[in-house]
Amino acid sequence: MRIESIDQLNQWREKCRTEFEAQKRRILICLGTACRANGAIEVYEEFKKVLAEKNINDVSVEAVTKTGCHGYCALGPLVILEPEGTFYTKVKKINIPEIVEKTIENGEIIQRLLYKDANTKKRVADYNEIPFYARQQRIALRNAGNIDPNQIEHYIAVGGYQGMAKALTQMKPQEVIDEVSKSGLRGRGGGGFPTGRKWATCAKVESDIHYVICNGDEGDPGAFMDRTLMGSDPHSVLEGMIICAHAVGSIKGYIYVREEYPLAVINLKKAIEDAREFGLLGDNILGSDLCFDIQVNRGGGAFVCGESSALMKSVAGEIGEPRAKYIHSVVQGLYNKPTVLNNVESFATVPMIIEKGADWFTSFGTPKSPGTKVFSLAGKIMNSGLVEVPMGITLREIIFDIGGGIPNKRKFKAVQTGGPSGGCLPAEKLDLPCDFDSLTAAGSMMGSGGMVIMDDRTCMVEIARYFLGFLVMESCGKCVPCREGLYQLYQLCTKICEGKGTEEDLELMEKLSKTIEIGSLCGLGKSGPNPFVSTLLYFRDEYLAHIRDKKCPGGVCRNLITFTINDDCTGCLACIKACPTEAITGEKKKKHILDQELCTQCGSCYAVCKFDAIDIT
Amino acid sequence: MMFRFEVNPSLCTGCRTCELACAFTHTKNQKPGRSRIYPIGYAKDEYVPVTCLQCDEAACIKSCMFDALRRNEETGAIELNLERCVKCEACVAACPFGCALIDNVHEEIVKCDLCGGSPACAQFCPTKALEYKKIA
Amino acid sequence: MLLAVIRREGVDVPALCEHEAIEPCGSCRLCMVEITKKEWDGWKNHVTSCLYPVEDGLIVSTHTDQVMEIRKTILDLYMARCPGSEVIQKMAEEYGIYKTSYITVPDADNCIMCYACTRICEVLGKSAIAAVERGHRKVIAPPFGDVPPDCIGCLSCAHICPTDVIKWNDEDGTRTIWKKNFELITCKECGKNIISREFADYIIEKREVPAEYFETCDDCKRAEVARKMGSLVTRAKEVSL
Repeated sequence: MRIESIDQLNQWREKCRTEFEAQKRRILICLGTACRANGAIEVYEEFKKVLAEKNINDVSVEAVTKTGCHGYCALGPLVILEPEGTFYTKVKKINIPEIVEKTIENGEIIQRLLYKDANTKKRVADYNEIPFYARQQRIALRNAGNIDPNQIEHYIAVGGYQGMAKALTQMKPQEVIDEVSKSGLRGRGGGGFPTGRKWATCAKVESDIHYVICNGDEGDPGAFMDRTLMGSDPHSVLEGMIICAHAVGSIKGYIYVREEYPLAVINLKKAIEDAREFGLLGDNILGSDLCFDIQVNRGGGAFVCGESSALMKSVAGEIGEPRAKYIHSVVQGLYNKPTVLNNVESFATVPMIIEKGADWFTSFGTPKSPGTKVFSLAGKIMNSGLVEVPMGITLREIIFDIGGGIPNKRKFKAVQTGGPSGGCLPAEKLDLPCDFDSLTAAGSMMGSGGMVIMDDRTCMVEIARYFLGFLVMESCGKCVPCREGLYQLYQLCTKICEGKGTEEDLELMEKLSKTIEIGSLCGLGKSGPNPFVSTLLYFRDEYLAHIRDKKCPGGVCRNLITFTINDDCTGCLACIKACPTEAITGEKKKKHILDQELCTQCGSCYAVCKFDAIDIT
Repeated sequence: MMFRFEVNPSLCTGCRTCELACAFTHTKNQKPGRSRIYPIGYAKDEYVPVTCLQCDEAACIKSCMFDALRRNEETGAIELNLERCVKCEACVAACPFGCALIDNVHEEIVKCDLCGGSPACAQFCPTKALEYKKIA
Repeated sequence: MLLAVIRREGVDVPALCEHEAIEPCGSCRLCMVEITKKEWDGWKNHVTSCLYPVEDGLIVSTHTDQVMEIRKTILDLYMARCPGSEVIQKMAEEYGIYKTSYITVPDADNCIMCYACTRICEVLGKSAIAAVERGHRKVIAPPFGDVPPDCIGCLSCAHICPTDVIKWNDEDGTRTIWKKNFELITCKECGKNIISREFADYIIEKREVPAEYFETCDDCKRAEVARKMGSLVTRAKEVSL
């Protein structure tokens, strides 16, 4: 069926909405990547099986909906029972008959499957009351976890393609650009460049063809915002791209997704097929003059291909290496034609801006960074997962109020924002508002929104070394400062971690970092030394401890730590069994003895000790 | 206005003054370059000076994959842009008259450039076997 | 581009990856200069002059402290990467670097990864070799490290290489480069080696140069010219007698 006009779209929407709402009881099962890994598919199949067997009134098998990621990945697999919003966590296949019998048939809530508040120790049934969700403001993630990403009807039913319809039928391209400019939307991929200005520049360039590209090559370790968006609500990305195509006069769009995101690729492809079938992509969309189609390009997993010019080269089938952007890609981008490249999240946000207006959007966030931002929380944090919050919220609110703080009663040490090229911020910076300018001023950056939280058992030198190692692997190798410079920086960092570093090394590293920052060809290289520079800025004492005292305060660098057994040892033999070098000896119920000669500082004993009897100094 | 070499082999004594003139005109780093012109004997005591003819449809220009050989429209000479030359020797192999040469001293390809309009070889030829003349 | 103008003005700015026959790529970073404009209110930028388009009102500084520092550091890095390259050593010495401050790269060769070879091969229309792998492991290699099917043995890559890394060998009428053997055309008169048969065929086909031009060497071709002209003279003399 082809939708030829806005009236037809509205009629279809009514139909979809009626069908969608007819299902009073909806069983939403998160099939995001994390929940899948924890067995959500089994849960989904089991639900269908049990419901089919039971044949309960008003609750058909169709009530079981597989949704995209819900964000609370730490507690997956997640099951939400609508209309009450009952939120079950860590659901296993064996729980299903019980859920069906008790909750679905008799309305009884199973307490032990509910979320338990770590502070109040209370169980919470309605997910809207869980702090993790209560503090969020979902714009880009508006449908994630609520609809089946593979059913265009769901997206239509919840108001999808309404922004596109408005743009195509009621707004001239310039008006769309003006609205986006007015909203102050800044590129969510990390750069924070005003999206409206980007579109306006591109639209002004005279050319036989303009391209629209969506950058889904999310590569930062610990970042998974775009994966979730593409996998859970692919149509919102398509809609944003269509609006952009209308604004800049494009006929061809590409979505560049990394190959490691199979679910995103499948769901996007399905969404594109469906959109084509209903005429939302293709010729004369909604009867307008706009002809636009989208193609999915899979990236081979090179981190550098997230850089705009490298990405465009990769789309064009060339080696994914950046070029000098003295002529911007909005003027000469893909195939040397004017190209708009935006991040997944930016595109997913655009439909809402068009639909609800720029003023609505600017009511969130800060004046210079309006709207919301999706952050992924990973590392040493209770609630690892995905959150969308208004810009300007402090790091403390994100990490402690929403993220639930640090597990195992450890102390917060640092948070890395903006991925490997971003920076690590210490506890003093916890009250920093999260917006583009504040994070940059603090020596880090917004980046795509990945946050890696670290506790006091983290060595910042080792962290710098780890991320430098990542960047050495992922540098494209085109220009010398990045290829050779980062390699040397990594080598020097390793030297410090091994306890062989000197203060001259540190000086050399600072000098080298400066050259890499100025001298590199692309953004990846220019921000390459950041793991070192930002850790040095806030944790210089830790570097000096490695160099002067030959100590690792985080207790991580193996050459610089010693393990000792303290008086808390109960003599449980656990460490003796764990020690691979037989360095620990002792008898049951007697304090064990550790032979320093044999100890290789592997940390196995520390990992198994339940009594905090192993000291690392 | 067109100029052309006029060669009168019967006047050529094989004295090789043209060679010297060419080599010194193309001196680089205090070292004379390889001469682009050679009086070659074809019989006992009979010589003919051979140099580039600046062909209209030049094989050297055609064979250069890097566009390093271009005709100077003012002088009519086919000039080699050393900055663009990769020394692949395609022109050396392609020239049907063997007049693109390898200069082993300066490690570059050389060919006659008509000295920018007044060839030294003709100027210095003592017997006028070689003249650079205006033609009608 | 800016570099050409800087050089035209007689200012010496080093560059390793730059050559007129290929598109600039900005990989060696040595030609970096500082630019600003009056209307930029003191804002400055560092750009590679080989890639920066010439603009009106551009104020270019080629030897500021910062620029010199960048060049020094880069040469220092090159010294660690290419300990055996005389070209690099000479250049570094000009900047006062005699020994690298860094760790010499294990298994270092003299390749500075400037892509001059791959770029010239592309201009030739062959692209027989390319950069493979990423970052520090990157090497220039034929497809799958095998004998490159598209290589025609023209040696352009070897000649353009600023640090002379690409080795080749001509022996007994056979040229070997990238582990591929090529038949060399030998002069039918004197037996001297000319160019590889495949390169000649490529020129003959692509540029419509007659095949017989490639049969003899330049020396023999000049001798042939002399012979032909001489025979004309001889005949003229006979006629006049």
